[in-house]
Amino acid sequence: MIIQSSPGRAFLETPVSWLKKIPSVVSQVLITLVVFAPMYWIVISAFKGPEEIIRSIPTFWPESWTFGNFERLLTSTDYLVFLGNSLTVSITTALISVVVSVAAAYGLYRLNVPGGGRIAGAILLAYMIPGTLLIVPLHQTLSSIGLIDSLSALVLLNVAFTAPFSTWLLRGFILSIPSELDDAAAIDGAGAVRTMFEVVLPLLTPGMATVAVYSFVFSWTEFVFASQFVSRQELQTLPIGLSAIIGQYTVDWGLVLAGVLLTMLPAVFIFLLVGRFFVGGLIAGATK
Amino acid sequence: MSAAAKTSQAGSRKSDGPSLIRPSRNKPTSLSRDSILGYLLIAPILLVLVLTIAFPLVSAVISGFQDQRIIGTSSSFVGFETYLKVINDGSFWDSLGRSGLWVVVNVVVQTILAFCVAFSLQQRGRWSKSARTWVVLPWVIPTVAVSVIWQWLLNSNYGVLHYLLAEIGINLGSPFGEPSTALFAVILVNSWHWFPLGAVVIYGALSTVPLDVIEAARMDGAGAGRIFWSITFPILQPVLFALGLVGSLWSFNILDSIYLITAGGPIEATTTAPVFVYDLAFSEFRSSQAAAASVLTALVLGAAALLFVRFGRPAENV
Repeated sequence: MIIQSSPGRAFLETPVSWLKKIPSVVSQVLITLVVFAPMYWIVISAFKGPEEIIRSIPTFWPESWTFGNFERLLTSTDYLVFLGNSLTVSITTALISVVVSVAAAYGLYRLNVPGGGRIAGAILLAYMIPGTLLIVPLHQTLSSIGLIDSLSALVLLNVAFTAPFSTWLLRGFILSIPSELDDAAAIDGAGAVRTMFEVVLPLLTPGMATVAVYSFVFSWTEFVFASQFVSRQELQTLPIGLSAIIGQYTVDWGLVLAGVLLTMLPAVFIFLLVGRFFVGGLIAGATK
Repeated sequence: MSAAAKTSQAGSRKSDGPSLIRPSRNKPTSLSRDSILGYLLIAPILLVLVLTIAFPLVSAVISGFQDQRIIGTSSSFVGFETYLKVINDGSFWDSLGRSGLWVVVNVVVQTILAFCVAFSLQQRGRWSKSARTWVVLPWVIPTVAVSVIWQWLLNSNYGVLHYLLAEIGINLGSPFGEPSTALFAVILVNSWHWFPLGAVVIYGALSTVPLDVIEAARMDGAGAGRIFWSITFPILQPVLFALGLVGSLWSFNILDSIYLITAGGPIEATTTAPVFVYDLAFSEFRSSQAAAASVLTALVLGAAALLFVRFGRPAENV
């Protein structure tokens, strides 16, 4: 690992420079606080009772832990319906986005089709157009193809807004697989399709994991499309459902925070499982 | 796909050396089977993008020449009238100005945060190793949750940050409720949500800086600042350029953080261009006007991006 300013090493060399270590420890403490303190506060608040949560002098550890907020959330709101919709949309988007972007990246950066550079440029250019500015015409387009007010519309849009970045991310992964492998497979008599499935794709697993995590998180968070293109309550995703719950129960902070906690938990959980691949993949893709 | 066709493709790819088995028979104009497969593989993404971006973009330009109000209702062709209406609307230009401020402050705050974090991630030890993964958590949390988290922390009655600052004599007031502070308060929340991506990418770029060059510079007596500006920064420049371009466009595009916290208020203090378009279409039901505003915004954004590319692109021969 490369070290830019290295107080750690200086400490090993001379005991006097122990002082030099202080800034790095301070910054580590600060970064930890910036990331975790807000989350800590949400978690403990969600377990506080209705009286304790609104005290003017807040308690930093709940006096009594209660599941009441979660009970009210699950019994008096449609949280579970929203959760199901969000899981459906996010998992479907992740799967389709992986297939679409791996296919595109393979064609562009492995088979090097004529004009591939220009196509890659066009895909990135399309990606630069702000999605927000397209909501109005998109509404008309989706109505005319009969997708308005359906989860398929959300999947289609999420794929459209994750696949270009994913294709670009996969570029780094594909370039790092030696092309001699293809030639060797060809000499052994494998066709292009077999080479793709049996030689290259297995080596692309970390890249596919990266793209899947990115697409899942994007869809899990996505708010604007989901709020405008789906109006039926039973089809709403968590961000929309949760913001409706917030509007309805503004004074019930306990219930709202329980909802917030349960909305972030699935994404955090998945990230803790495969986040390492995502961070590694993002670095590999961005610095190639 | 026959082996012969495959090898002829391999041969044509290595045109500068002797081919392995037999010389390429592919004329440059004829499509090899690999290329056909390639185009088939690229087709799905192009289809999706045409359907969801190219087609709506064209229909936005056309819609701008009409006078439609609620989406889907009847409309007639009015020439440049709708575009002129938007151009003459002072609040449209105000929202673009706010968007400019939003992008610049967001990018500055996030870049500073990202650099500080990236340098910390580079150090040895257990903290850095685990932080390289968990530092991304604020980005993973859904925006709707991020907005509630910060509204709860800063709540003027029950908020813990409000309470802690009051203890040391700072009265925070209600940062999202004051027109003078609302935009910056939302920018800080949005930066908390987005800095991890920049931090991870910059950390990755820092790892590509060769250690021996830095050691050599240090031997020659160069200070930390000198080393950063003469060695590290030029190596980082291409990554920073890409990050700056993509990050600016992403920031510009953000609607959810703003809408969920302030909905553009108070008194339009946080109405950036995307919020302006969104309100025009879905609160005021002027869809043609919203489409025209979208097209104009995209043009301004495109011009800004071109300027950035023209003057920000690092020299190739560094």
